[in-house]
Amino acid sequence: MCNCDECEQWMQPYMDRVLTDAERAEAEAHLDDCAYCRRRYRFEEHLRTFVRQAVIEPMPVELKQKLSELRTPLL
Amino acid sequence: MSETTREPDARRLATEARDRVRFEEDALALSDQVYRVARHLVGSRDEAEDLVQETYARAFRSWRSFTPGTNLRAWLLRILTNLNIDRGRRIQRQPDQQPLEEGDYFLYNKLEETTDGPTDEERVVQRLSQNDVVSALSEVPHDFRDVVVLVDIGDFTYADAAQILDIPIGTVMSRLHRGRRILKQAMAESAVGSEA
Repeated sequence: MCNCDECEQWMQPYMDRVLTDAERAEAEAHLDDCAYCRRRYRFEEHLRTFVRQAVIEPMPVELKQKLSELRTPLL
Repeated sequence: MSETTREPDARRLATEARDRVRFEEDALALSDQVYRVARHLVGSRDEAEDLVQETYARAFRSWRSFTPGTNLRAWLLRILTNLNIDRGRRIQRQPDQQPLEEGDYFLYNKLEETTDGPTDEERVVQRLSQNDVVSALSEVPHDFRDVVVLVDIGDFTYADAAQILDIPIGTVMSRLHRGRRILKQAMAESAVGSEA
């Protein structure tokens, strides 16, 4: 099982699902056992969702129209 | 020209027209997602709109070079990032190599220590405003921001981001790591203030 420092290092790759199976198992064992890291993991999950939603700017309707006008005319 | 040669030609043209229409419809269906990424790769809304229009104009002209069955969204974003670099909107620079002092838990620790009363993780996130996120993202230097925007906002894989930006996957990983920490540091400063 990893320690808190390693867990902090692995947090983002863990969430990106790019750890090896062995690393993933170690990280999960640590998260099961450590409330300190588990809180931070849950925070990171909420944070990712929040960041993604916070930056969404709806596409202007006029732009959508302009893009449609770029289409090749049908013969 | 005899009827026998004209017929296959007509069939070929009809097939091509159908493929093109399908391509254009598929590309347009992705325009919201393309715009969402473009908006945060460049500094202003006007620039993003120009860039998306140029991207679609080029995509519709060169639709034959798209391989059906591959990732169309990544293909469009590749055109978009190339156009962005070609137009000199984005100055290529040496990425900042200064060591980062703060770890990955920095933002949580910063927000949590300044949150009154009982805290749960969702409540700690709520210390951040939409504006904290948007302004912090605009402060992340381009090289790092491109990767953060593609992976965390555009939902692209590391491999797609590497292909779109034409950089090795290892570079995507190191820029993402650094970019996310710069972003968190900027969000912490925006929400709590640099003195806290």
